[in-house]
Amino acid sequence: MKKESPLLKVGFVAPTLLFLITFNLYPLLYNIVLSFTNKQLSQDEYEFIGGHNYQAIFDAASNPKFGQALRTTAEFVLFAVSLELVLGFCLALCMQAKFRGKPLVLTLLLMPMMLSPAVMGLFWNLILSAHNGILNQVLGGAGLPTPHWLTEPSLKLCAVLLVDVWMWTPYMMLIALAGLNAIPGYIYEAAEIDRASRFTVFRRITLPMCAPLLLLAVLFRATDALKQFDLVMALTGPNDTSTQTLSALLYQLTFANQKVGLGSAYACIVLVLVIALATVFTRYLDWLATKRQGA
Amino acid sequence: MRARLTSIVLSISLCLLGSSCKHDSKSEAGGSASAALADSAGAAAGKTVNIWWAQWAPADGLQQLSQEYEQQSGVAVRVHQIPWSSYQDQVFLNFGNKVTSFDIVVGDSQWLGRGATGKLYLDLTDWLPTVVDVKTIQPQALRYLCEYPAGSSHYYAAPGETDAVGFAYRKDWFDDPKEQAAFKAKYKRDLAVPDTWEEFKDIAEYFTQPQNKRYGTALLTGRGYDALAMGFQPFLWEFGGSWGDPVSFKTKGLVDNAGAVEGLTFMKSLLKFAPNDGPNMDYGKTLEAFTSGSTAMAMNYFAFYPTIVKSLGDKAGFFVMPSHNGKRFSSLGGQGMSISNKVSPEQQKLAKDFIAWFLKRETQEKWTKKEAGFTANSEILNSAAFKQATPYNAPFAQSMNFIQDFWNVPAYNELLAAAEQRLGEALDGVKTPKEALEAISTEHDRIFKEAGLAK
Repeated sequence: MKKESPLLKVGFVAPTLLFLITFNLYPLLYNIVLSFTNKQLSQDEYEFIGGHNYQAIFDAASNPKFGQALRTTAEFVLFAVSLELVLGFCLALCMQAKFRGKPLVLTLLLMPMMLSPAVMGLFWNLILSAHNGILNQVLGGAGLPTPHWLTEPSLKLCAVLLVDVWMWTPYMMLIALAGLNAIPGYIYEAAEIDRASRFTVFRRITLPMCAPLLLLAVLFRATDALKQFDLVMALTGPNDTSTQTLSALLYQLTFANQKVGLGSAYACIVLVLVIALATVFTRYLDWLATKRQGA
Repeated sequence: MRARLTSIVLSISLCLLGSSCKHDSKSEAGGSASAALADSAGAAAGKTVNIWWAQWAPADGLQQLSQEYEQQSGVAVRVHQIPWSSYQDQVFLNFGNKVTSFDIVVGDSQWLGRGATGKLYLDLTDWLPTVVDVKTIQPQALRYLCEYPAGSSHYYAAPGETDAVGFAYRKDWFDDPKEQAAFKAKYKRDLAVPDTWEEFKDIAEYFTQPQNKRYGTALLTGRGYDALAMGFQPFLWEFGGSWGDPVSFKTKGLVDNAGAVEGLTFMKSLLKFAPNDGPNMDYGKTLEAFTSGSTAMAMNYFAFYPTIVKSLGDKAGFFVMPSHNGKRFSSLGGQGMSISNKVSPEQQKLAKDFIAWFLKRETQEKWTKKEAGFTANSEILNSAAFKQATPYNAPFAQSMNFIQDFWNVPAYNELLAAAEQRLGEALDGVKTPKEALEAISTEHDRIFKEAGLAK
């Protein structure tokens, strides 16, 4: 057997490496550098100001916006991912059944996640309009209350959640469905022979065997939801206290207020949060895998 | 075998690279060919003035008008239109480069301070009076669209598009004898264009009939960029408040005084007569509420009113901002033409030549014939021909006499964002008007201190 050429190896890996360095590593490092400067959007000259930007962010007295945005983001991630998980899993259980027109229903269910969030946000802005939106026209026609989705402060975040859940529940469903289909049929047959109840089968077989895949889906969705920007931008704008997530605040600071240095510091914090969340989840998944192997 | 495999991989890579280069050069060639077709002799000679402006009807008008300049001078003029939602971001992002993609930017009045102090805009102080008699420029337009600081006679822009906030109203509803009789029976006076906010409120209340999908008024309350601040300003100034002292930059007792609180409270009270999206309507939504036929009176910039005339014809009329206690103000709109400091002196010269041509009296007259082409030339503005040209020209010309503007200091964007956010909280009921205005004062004071403007 001939030895592989090192040149060939480099030839195959180099394009990917080059791509990663150009579009991932360099912007990341440049962002970190900018976070220690007073760089403004329209100025090409800037000075290093040490950790002043980070100090300004964490000084709750002079900057309550960070705490508020963090709280809004946490609420959004918690409610969006929980709802999507529960609804997605329920839908997957329903889609396991065999019925006529199943491929069509499945395709229709998957459509929202295939559409652009920015475009969908703009469409939902029209749908949720309290003045002439189709949703309120339907609700009003049915004699139900017609909430002011995009102007009532307590409902604005709900409106963003509604659209996010509509868009991403199919994603959870798809992964849950893959998990459910991967469970071998003989396990269910054995449970049937043992006269296990439906609830016991669900609790002891379906849920535990699906859990690792579901947790992976939760990890993907949670990291994505942490960066929520497009729907907020399209539905309520980046400067609305009720829905200002960390990414919306970051945009507001970087582009509207033109403080690129401060915005970069926020971006670093969002990155750290995403990495922290991802680490916790992957560690938990590893722990689950180890536990299974031990059992 | 190894050598052959390596050569195959390299050959494929080279082929791919070659084909992509070929494709690029081909597309470039195609692009330049179509550009060459589109351009005149001047463009072929390489002389082009690039203008950046927001995407709207006046920019189309400027592009049409500039074709005449191209024929006369041989210099091509390209008006690049950028959607309003990203216009500010795109312009200042471009200013971050060593060389800007534009020679002229038609920038918002609030940008003047940043453009002037950041050395982004070319100083036109010595040049502007040589190409136009500044006395012919409407004084408020000169003050807010061209000078920084306002009133200093230091010019960083030439007047481009002038604009002011006013109202469109359903003339057919106002003229309907049944409506007139019913209104008179209820309010003991004739149904007519309101002169004061109190009259305005009565009319808004009268026309609010949700069961018939009719609403009294749509105000500018959008939180995206500056709509809410522009909509609130007339109330602020007319009821006795102001954004602050332009010399000391103190805001306490000015932006949050009793008059300002009363103004914001009054504005909020009008939202009872607005369509359901009333507390958050930007320029587009206000326009849509009116053109869809559901609203009696809609606040907006005059530059948007050609759309209304196109849609509703003579069913629509226009009036100036109502007054309060004898005081009448309107928010300034429009933009000045500034020359980028980050282009070559040759390009700056071409830009100056174009602006000089644009400011000529005959060009300004042609400019007013374009859709929403509002001039700053006082003589044209005050002429009967201009006032009678469209149903909105007369109230527009009148409005120019009492326009004022938001802060245009370099930190205007932070001031604007803070004002929009807190005013929004007041309209949403999260804060009382007093709390919201006090919060604006606190944040504005902090921003002025950080910017080194206030002690």
